[in-house]
Amino acid sequence: MEYLRRNRILFASASLLLCSLLLVSVSLRSPTARDPVGRLLLDALAPFQVVFGWVGRSVGRVWSGYMDVVDARQENEQLRAHVAALAAQLLRSGELERENQRLGALLSLRGQLAGAGYGARVIGRDPSPLAMTLTIDRGARDGLRRGMAVVAPQGVVGQVAEASHTAARVVLLTDHNSGIDAIVQRSRARGVVKGGTDGTCRMDYLTRDADVQVGDRILTSGLDGIFPKGLVVGDVVEVGRSNRGLLQAATVRPSVDLERLEEVLVVDPAATVPDEPPA
Amino acid sequence: MRAVAVIGLVAGFGVLLQTTLFHALPLRLRLSPDVLLVLVVFLGLHRHTVGGVFAAFSLGYLQDAASGSAVGLNAFGMVVVYALVYLTCRRLWVDNVLSKVVLVFLASWVKAVAVLVVSAVFGASEGAWGPTLGAVLMNAALAAVLAPPVFALLTAARLPDARDEN
Repeated sequence: MEYLRRNRILFASASLLLCSLLLVSVSLRSPTARDPVGRLLLDALAPFQVVFGWVGRSVGRVWSGYMDVVDARQENEQLRAHVAALAAQLLRSGELERENQRLGALLSLRGQLAGAGYGARVIGRDPSPLAMTLTIDRGARDGLRRGMAVVAPQGVVGQVAEASHTAARVVLLTDHNSGIDAIVQRSRARGVVKGGTDGTCRMDYLTRDADVQVGDRILTSGLDGIFPKGLVVGDVVEVGRSNRGLLQAATVRPSVDLERLEEVLVVDPAATVPDEPPA
Repeated sequence: MRAVAVIGLVAGFGVLLQTTLFHALPLRLRLSPDVLLVLVVFLGLHRHTVGGVFAAFSLGYLQDAASGSAVGLNAFGMVVVYALVYLTCRRLWVDNVLSKVVLVFLASWVKAVAVLVVSAVFGASEGAWGPTLGAVLMNAALAAVLAPPVFALLTAARLPDARDEN
């Protein structure tokens, strides 16, 4: 008896374990059998569960809202970074497309010219306002030499004045040291296009009776042995006739935008243009 | 009587938390710390009476009623936990916070194993071991975390230790 009394907790535990197993057995063997005590507890808990459930859902909604805000913030930052990357990519893509167009035009021009042609990039401009020159990334090692013609798809750019091993300096047609033998496309009147001082050129040595009008297109004559015949030099914007003297002069605006030039084609003097461009 | 009221209140609150609040929280894992188990461990540590055993059984039964599992499964697990905690604290000194936390963690595993074994024996949980183990680990850890505040609450209620005369 004393043993039982001393270990009654363990005996009670064992009894309740057996009782539990009995309950499990009954519960599993006859699932339709109802547990009255369980139903009573369920009924008692139900109203409180409603309240606790409401509190839980409210807390859940607040928490979800907070997490949504955090997620939205992170997503916003990611999207901003993505947009910035895409904008940069778009910019690069646009730049490449424009460069592709320019190089395509240059390549087309090279195909039109007989003889050798060297594509080159403009890598520098003259720091002095008095000289109109630019530097290109091709030099003597590429076959460039002094006197070669430099052109763009829009027309004449200038000529190589000096070629180092890896680069070359180009004198633009607007430089006062430049002189290009040229003709008026419409009337075939001949003269020499020289550089001016304000970014334009001047066509000198036109005879007084030469037919020159504003809007006339000026082309290279090919007689100077430097520029192939038929390249566009520019358009006449002003004709100056004085009352005396045997000659007249015209102001010519270059067809090439020399300030925005990025790629050029250096042409061997032996090159020729098959067809004259339209007036 | 006071002890029964306090334990009943905490048990009711615990069941409500387990069946509503924890499930309503938008957590990615389905976590539901076993508050009643912490209570049973407390009983095993401080209420060494036949009433304590019945209280453990009743808490398990309450959990069965609320959970919809086979009646008697949790009751069985709770009685096993109570008996083991009772035997442990008769032989080992378990009175600081850390040892109680560890005890609750181990008790969670004991209960889970007991419930799964009984389920397996009666054919109620075939092949349920794999997915259950991860959840058991998480819930055991949560119950262990929950143990200090629940124990502190019950201590603050000034429930006297009860031992049947040997």
